Amino acid sequence: MPDVPVVDPAPAAENSGRFVVPCLLAWLLPGLGHFYLGKRKRAVVFFCVVATAFVLGIGSDGAASLIDPRQPLSYLATFDNLAMGPLDLVSRQLTFHEMAYRLPGDESSPRQQELTRLLRDRVKSPTYEYGNTFLLTAGLMNILLILDAFDIATGRKDRAPA
Amino acid sequence: MIRSHFLNMAVFSLLVAVFFAFLTQSGARDRIKVIVILGGSMIVVSLIIAYVMYPFPLR
Repeated sequence: MPDVPVVDPAPAAENSGRFVVPCLLAWLLPGLGHFYLGKRKRAVVFFCVVATAFVLGIGSDGAASLIDPRQPLSYLATFDNLAMGPLDLVSRQLTFHEMAYRLPGDESSPRQQELTRLLRDRVKSPTYEYGNTFLLTAGLMNILLILDAFDIATGRKDRAPA
Repeated sequence: MIRSHFLNMAVFSLLVAVFFAFLTQSGARDRIKVIVILGGSMIVVSLIIAYVMYPFPLR
């Protein structure tokens, strides 16, 4: 019978669950997951980069996305915003003055009209497109940071401090 | 905030380049290389695309 490499199940079991805390921290604050994993220098740089993109997005009149059932891409954009963790609450409060995540779908509803009006006010700004791009990029970068924290925590990527 | 289209593009390119340099590289030298190549190419390619689009107006 040919030799078959035996995979020890112990390391896999040991790694399961180890990623939860760093991934959650990475979601709560950009770079915090890396800080927890000992990548202090990287964590500071990641926080500065993502926070700068977020601040530029908000400052340039970027808007938090709302789920609109008629526009499938709005689901992705809203998910991307949610990846910013608690910072998403800030952008939603600044955009809509409340924690709105979805358009009601009824054109005659006063809430829909108010949310649409607030969104249109942002769209009229000459820097709206820049702001939205920065906001969405900040969310995408934080998704990558959460995945990177997962890789480091599970040993798929180097665990040496850097 | 920043009104200049070019400045917005330059800041965006720098942020993305620094992010990927620290995400994918571990040595300082390699990181600088990625920042220069990625950031620079984002700006240069954007300018080339803008130049190519120049003769094609929207209407």
